[in-house]
Amino acid sequence: MDTQFLVSFSIIIATFALYIGIAVYNKARATSDFYVASRGVPPVFNGMAIGADWMSAASFIGMAGTIMLLGYDGLAYIMGWTGGYLLLTFLLAPQLRKYGRYTVPEFIGDRYDSHTARVIAAICTIIISFTYSIGQLSGSGVVIGRLFEIDAKLGTMIGVVLIAFYAAFGGMKGITWTQVAQYVVLIIAYLIPVIFMSLQLTNSALPWLSYGELVGKMGELDRELGISEYFAPFTNGTKWQFLALMFTLMCGTAGLPHVIVRFYTVATMKAARWSGAWALLFIGLLYLSAPAYAAFSRFILMTKIAGSEITNLPAWTKSWIDTGKLQMADGNGDGVLQWSELIISNDIVVMATPEIANLGVFVIGLVAAGAMAAALSTAGGLMISISSAFAHDIFYRVWKPNSTEKTRLSVARWSIVLATLFAGLIALNPPGAITQIVAWAFALATGTFFPALVLGVWWKRSNSQGVIAGLLVGLAVTLGYIFAAKYGGFTILGIIDTGAGVFGATAAFLANIIVSLATAAPSQKIQEEVMDLRYPEQMVYKDGEVWMSEDGSTKA
Amino acid sequence: MKKIEKAVADAYFREKNRYMVIYFIIWFIVSYGVVLLAEPLSELTLMGGFPFHYFMGAQGAVVTFIILLFVNAKVGDMIDKKYGIDEAQNIKLSAGKSVDH
Repeated sequence: MDTQFLVSFSIIIATFALYIGIAVYNKARATSDFYVASRGVPPVFNGMAIGADWMSAASFIGMAGTIMLLGYDGLAYIMGWTGGYLLLTFLLAPQLRKYGRYTVPEFIGDRYDSHTARVIAAICTIIISFTYSIGQLSGSGVVIGRLFEIDAKLGTMIGVVLIAFYAAFGGMKGITWTQVAQYVVLIIAYLIPVIFMSLQLTNSALPWLSYGELVGKMGELDRELGISEYFAPFTNGTKWQFLALMFTLMCGTAGLPHVIVRFYTVATMKAARWSGAWALLFIGLLYLSAPAYAAFSRFILMTKIAGSEITNLPAWTKSWIDTGKLQMADGNGDGVLQWSELIISNDIVVMATPEIANLGVFVIGLVAAGAMAAALSTAGGLMISISSAFAHDIFYRVWKPNSTEKTRLSVARWSIVLATLFAGLIALNPPGAITQIVAWAFALATGTFFPALVLGVWWKRSNSQGVIAGLLVGLAVTLGYIFAAKYGGFTILGIIDTGAGVFGATAAFLANIIVSLATAAPSQKIQEEVMDLRYPEQMVYKDGEVWMSEDGSTKA
Repeated sequence: MKKIEKAVADAYFREKNRYMVIYFIIWFIVSYGVVLLAEPLSELTLMGGFPFHYFMGAQGAVVTFIILLFVNAKVGDMIDKKYGIDEAQNIKLSAGKSVDH
């Protein structure tokens, strides 16, 4: 056991003790606590919890590496994963909060007054959250495996046990405060290496301002090497793929059940607005730093590692070459490692860079703890979504309406344990790279929930037949395009599987609108409820008139 | 409860939507607009080396999004105030509404 192992291990154990401690302290007792933390979380902290929920293994571990390898084309992830918060906060979050249901399937089921729509929405929630969680579990497996120098599969299993434990016993209340702690850990872990590298390379403690210089310099280095410039647009895909991916990630953000459910934990529409703003500020800290992280990593690799003698490479290279994610072969046999002879997987850039830049054992351990916080916090939120879709929307609302609160809570806990185990089983042999799996989850949310929620809130004429058609068509088109593009090589305008949401959403909007118009309008009561979402809580729409409550009640 | 003029309620809704449309136009220009014009915009450089399209993708768009969300939150509060909405009443009302099943 070397020093690095002991330091990393201690930091991870200390942070885990903190998360589990908070979860146990807040052990949920009542059902409403379990799902939405009693709707009393202040916007600033709710913003941090949304941030931790949001920033997954894909953001923390995968994104900077993706940008480093794709250059400008990787920035679709930066704009897509932040720009979606405008759709969410303007079009959906406050209105869904006023409607006041626990979960997304519950909103769809009640707004459209259809158990069929409710069950389809619950199944979509389970499919989306499950797909997403496979990416998180395989991410945590890579981190734990690398760190403890054990097989990544064993690492995945350790992650599964941890998630099942605190999601099942803490509930959302435990998770909300746990996630505030996780946000703090992961943002510190991400910013420290970026700031240190900025000091090393540019003598500035503000990486966001200083890395532009390196981006320009790398363009020159690339020209000398005769490869396309780092910042040249559309070198790894068409412009349409860039736009489709950005659209898919934005609308997926606004349709992800585990993110939307966060907005039910605030008190009012006003608090929902502020939570969205705080959330993007906290998320933005990491997203603004990721391209800097990418630029520094690439610059160090280009100037310090490329050009070294092949027999004299630094010690860190060996452990990463052993994982199979890094290749350094002296292709032309001249004894020197050229830039083109260095092949690095995008999933290890964030984890390996502190070692490459020689930032010391403490920083390396901290980054590992941050990566674990990112993977586990998101997986925790996903598991709550899956369990509430099953225990609340399917089991309680449709299947056994007479079940006791105790039974429902136990169904919720068992569904978390089973979903985690099953996702872990698939994560042992993941069907794609972490970012790819996560992008599929976004495409599915874009093709199903985004149209159903936007029309549900903004168009009172949309009815149950319309939403059922929209959800099914959107799901089929999105899944069909993902499979056709990934396995069949079928593409339109160069748009690949990760941009599938643009077709799913278009088809779902059309299906919902056409079928709604072809069938009877929803009941007067439902149309009035939709009109009511236009106004703040205090204004109530009733019988074609708007009423203002002055004493906190809606009695006339 | 006191009845309010439908025209007043509609004005509230329209005013909020008008701002929202402005936010979405800015949102579209800084993200989709810059991507559509990425090639010509890459000729411009700023802050010691950033090509303009890269700067917008990596920082400009994100900062604009954050500012728009805070402006929306603040402007939303001001519109609520203008129409006499009291947040304390909202809290009471939404607390009563969440347990209706």
